Amino acid sequence: MAKTGMERLEELKPQIYKCIHCKACRFAYSGEPDREGIGEFTGKQGTVLYEGMVDACPAGIEYGWEAFWNAGKVWIARSILSGDLEFTEEVRDVLMPCITCGQCSAQCENKIPTVDIIEALRAALIESGVEMIDKHQLVDKLVKELNNPYGGKAAERFKWAKDAGLGKYINNKEAKIGYFVGCTASYRQIEVAIATAKLFEKLGMNFTLVGDEVCCGSPFFRVGAVETAQELMNKNLKAFKDLEMVYFSCAGCYRTITIDYPKWIAEDIEYPFKTKHAFELVADLITENKLKFKPNKELKGKVVTYHDPCHTGRHFAIDMEQDLIDKSTNLMFDMRKINKIIDEWFEIPRIILNKLQEDVGIEFKEMYRIKLNSMCCGAGGGVRAGYPDFSIRTASLRCDEANAVGADILTTECPFCWRNLSDANEQYEHGMKVMGVLQLITEYDLIDLAEKPKESDFLKGSIRELHL
Amino acid sequence: MIGIVGKNYATNNKAITASYLAKSVMGLESQIADIVVRPKYVEEIRKILLYCSAEKIAVSPISGGLSGGFACPTIKPAGVQLDLGRMNRIIEIDEANRIAIVEPGVTNGTLWAYMEKYHPDWAPPIADGAPPAATVMGDAIDRGFSLYTSSVGPQGDNFMCGEVVFPNGDIVRTGSWALPFAKPFYKYGLGPDMWSYLMGSQGALGVVTKAAVKIYPHPKFKTVITWGMSNPYDMQDLTLEVGMQEFGVAHNTVMVQGGNYPLVMARWPKDKVPHDYEFYKEMGIPAWWMNWETWANSQEELDFAINKINSMAEDYKKNRARDPDAMKPQELHPKQIASRLKKPNKIAIPYSFWEAGFLFITWYTPWNECAHFAENYCAAMEKHGFPPVMWIASIERCRQAICMPIVCFDSTKEEDFERVQDLNRETTEYGLKQGWLNYRPDPYIHAPLTYSKAAMYWKYLRAFKKLVDPNMIMHPGRLALP
Repeated sequence: MAKTGMERLEELKPQIYKCIHCKACRFAYSGEPDREGIGEFTGKQGTVLYEGMVDACPAGIEYGWEAFWNAGKVWIARSILSGDLEFTEEVRDVLMPCITCGQCSAQCENKIPTVDIIEALRAALIESGVEMIDKHQLVDKLVKELNNPYGGKAAERFKWAKDAGLGKYINNKEAKIGYFVGCTASYRQIEVAIATAKLFEKLGMNFTLVGDEVCCGSPFFRVGAVETAQELMNKNLKAFKDLEMVYFSCAGCYRTITIDYPKWIAEDIEYPFKTKHAFELVADLITENKLKFKPNKELKGKVVTYHDPCHTGRHFAIDMEQDLIDKSTNLMFDMRKINKIIDEWFEIPRIILNKLQEDVGIEFKEMYRIKLNSMCCGAGGGVRAGYPDFSIRTASLRCDEANAVGADILTTECPFCWRNLSDANEQYEHGMKVMGVLQLITEYDLIDLAEKPKESDFLKGSIRELHL
Repeated sequence: MIGIVGKNYATNNKAITASYLAKSVMGLESQIADIVVRPKYVEEIRKILLYCSAEKIAVSPISGGLSGGFACPTIKPAGVQLDLGRMNRIIEIDEANRIAIVEPGVTNGTLWAYMEKYHPDWAPPIADGAPPAATVMGDAIDRGFSLYTSSVGPQGDNFMCGEVVFPNGDIVRTGSWALPFAKPFYKYGLGPDMWSYLMGSQGALGVVTKAAVKIYPHPKFKTVITWGMSNPYDMQDLTLEVGMQEFGVAHNTVMVQGGNYPLVMARWPKDKVPHDYEFYKEMGIPAWWMNWETWANSQEELDFAINKINSMAEDYKKNRARDPDAMKPQELHPKQIASRLKKPNKIAIPYSFWEAGFLFITWYTPWNECAHFAENYCAAMEKHGFPPVMWIASIERCRQAICMPIVCFDSTKEEDFERVQDLNRETTEYGLKQGWLNYRPDPYIHAPLTYSKAAMYWKYLRAFKKLVDPNMIMHPGRLALP
């Protein structure tokens, strides 16, 4: 039996009750009020001081009330568990604007898994009979009918592959490796899908696009439509069950299938395949000196910055931290090692960007808020669908931060972040180019293989598996 | 309320009112308020208080962060919660008179960062250990502990003048501020001092809307030295000897604080660290220790202060220590020193990691009784099944001690709340017999037990409250008023 939201909330009770309402979670760099930064910057969303600790919870900044900041929501969860508060539309309307970026969790000294708590709260809320907000109902209806939330025809999921001459990879029965494309890259940001598939092809990977792939369920786990999410999960687990390794280009799909599925599947089901993001593969090949980049005149001297997607950055880091804490028998000794592993995790995309700086001549410049303290693009947690104006304003805040370092190109590694940042870039005229890192590599034809990778290179596990 | 502050800043939305709960750290009595209001201006507060007084609706102000903010949450009978977080202006920094004027929502982190950037030679007396989101004003009204307290005195003494709105509608300025156009340069102003009535009130008398806080030099030569020992008596007596120097060295020791090894242990999950002291001993952690955080204007001055403390410690060890063999200076790694010098910090937060909740039950004692307090309280904590976590710091060169047992418990279990209160009751009865004072009296144990032993003082507190709060609406219960 799969778990209900209320069961998940009860499971999380010991974590929820750890909150002392210290409010550190509202800030990035919450323990560093005198951290050096780049100072004051006036962007499209006003003036922000990029130094010291910075208000970082998008919903808290937007709505102001305590309930919209994380600590307020944790105490709402506690009130639900203690019976002091019931699920109502009022509760729904403060829970739903949370982007579930996990910034709050990263700041918490008591290691409270805030994203899990908010998602379990939302799931329990919907189970209790409170209706989803209209826009979430719409995407729920669409995914039930079409297996994707965009309204795209199921039969056209891999149209991009056929159009790009990559049709031979659809249902490639010989492959042990799958590429889970996801809905955003299949129906909207097809540039990401094409770039990733072409990259795999260039590296000589024999992979398959699985014809029965459906939405990973991410938006539905996020907004509390767990029944829908679990149906999608079961379809995907069945469709991909014979593969050894599944690659991703979408941070949200990668996070959902790697972190969420094991939490929500029935305990007697064995998890069928390994998972890895494409950027991990590229970073591995660079580290092993099997891959370098060609110089490029057009890119030389361009300032490139990188936006850590919450789903591949913080969410994985926090999940690894929780797992490693659970496994530790003496945390006083192990915590330093755990922090080192988290640092390594955040370095993966930076291995690629630093190599691009070295070989191609781009100037890689970090924004003020990065890694665990990175600011969200505003798209996650069902917010882009549910609260589009707030979502785009948040993305524009992030674009301001990229403008503050003079970025010509804002890169990321998630089509959903890409979409939101790109829309904000256009709507608020931030004047940058927004691209996926892999898209940049493929579109500018930068790959220079020193040695053809072997199948074993492609099947090598993610560093998170090595540590867990 | 909407008529006073506008529709965006008053609500009875149940989810929002519930979100202000905080049953931990400083008290377990938090209740969901009926309404939350977020005023921005003094006049709005005056109107709210007048309305609530006329309608006999309880009002509980919170300033923003933990200390004095969520530390005194709404309690029965609920009513209006005044969230003062929007009143967050740093109004003035006056280096010559060494004063910062702040509103209640100004946080430790904000003021610290502002001073670092614009007045780097000066620093505010922010609470050490309280998180950056705790407020400067909250700590003052609590009479809390700041990073200068061991040198210059309790946090309440760092505040010169204030502006307070009473429920009778009066706006009163204290100290020299009582005189129009006067700077907040003198605390005692026009005769008997009203500000002291507000210290320790935690919002139970009125809403403090501005305060002038002293700022201090922020010299760049700093370090921490630590001596370890086997028992609290050697910690107490050595520290007292250093503090009693008064001039010179004792003034350089801005923060003098110590404790026992469970302070380290209880910052981790209960099932993830060894509980046996032998493990900590092997790591070089003494059973008890004292840190002297020392600031100076030059390396020479710093060296002099450190050498003086070390020589006094050697002399104490040789001639007067109860357990001289266990006394030794601790070699601190530069990273450890840097971590201890970092302000503000999140040091006090992770005690929930042990299980799922903790409570600071803080007391004031004469310094030379803090070891007795620690011994007695640690034994009581163990008896009631809690780890004996004890933090002790000097106030004003060991004139007083702030003694803070940290009760780590599992707040998911009702029986644990009962155990905490049993411990609290037993130790309060014992502490009051010794003449020790509770720092933040809780309304159900400390306040009734304390005021029952101080009837005359209680009578005058009530009389004063009645004068400014005729219908007793302000934060009823916290100080057992009414």
